[in-house]
Amino acid sequence: MEGFLFWFCGILMVLGGVMTIAQRSAVVSAVWLVFAFVCAAGIFALLSAPFVAVMQVLVYAGAIMVLFLFVIMMLQGPVLEGEAKLMALPLWPAVAIPPMAVIVMVVGYLRSNGLTGLGDAAAPGFGSPVFVAKLMLGRYLLAFELISIVLLVAIIGALAIGKDERTLPWK
Amino acid sequence: MEITLTHYLVLAMALFLTGMVGFIVRRNAIVMLMCVELMLCAVNIVFVAFSRVTGDGGGHVFVLMNFAVAASEAAIGLAILVEIFRRRRTVNVDDLKALME
Repeated sequence: MEGFLFWFCGILMVLGGVMTIAQRSAVVSAVWLVFAFVCAAGIFALLSAPFVAVMQVLVYAGAIMVLFLFVIMMLQGPVLEGEAKLMALPLWPAVAIPPMAVIVMVVGYLRSNGLTGLGDAAAPGFGSPVFVAKLMLGRYLLAFELISIVLLVAIIGALAIGKDERTLPWK
Repeated sequence: MEITLTHYLVLAMALFLTGMVGFIVRRNAIVMLMCVELMLCAVNIVFVAFSRVTGDGGGHVFVLMNFAVAASEAAIGLAILVEIFRRRRTVNVDDLKALME
């Protein structure tokens, strides 16, 4: 069962990546990238990292890809027509397969007893939110604080790059 | 067949190579940024796989750090792209060669 789940999620994930780079339109590429990220979340779940799997779907497939789609929407027009020499492939598998992948993933995860080929180093509760939180706010507190500075710098940088001087309120 | 650490590493390598090839062959800057996200995702798989084998949760913490880095990279990269598009009306990297000339 675990072997089947690995091959199922893994092959679909690489397929999603290949389709991302093989598509002519940036919008279709983005949808296939969401597909690849959902399958990567399945791989994380297999590796007994449920919290990381949930965050993968929430942050990557959710927030970051919405940002991409939003920018594609803003830059409408000639941008959507990408490289002319690339082939046009149908979009519907990218929409239809991820829900199936999630269902197979969840059913398989509930029916399997975890992976055996990776040893038994993981204690009970490994990868749960409490487990990750204890590490993040304990041993890795400094890294956690530093990453907040990275995010702050990114916010300021995005504002500084994207501002339009004529419409600033103090001008 | 038993799924071992090697399987996960080969899978991550396949995903990383996919992203790398895409970054090289595509000319649309938005898709190039997506390929960087693919490569970061492959790195996350390696982190989590080694975390599972060693039983140490540090990999999970650094995957979450990687999420923050990926979000920052996407935000800044897309802001730069919007600004480039506003000035040059293109995001095709073949047309952006002001520094080359």
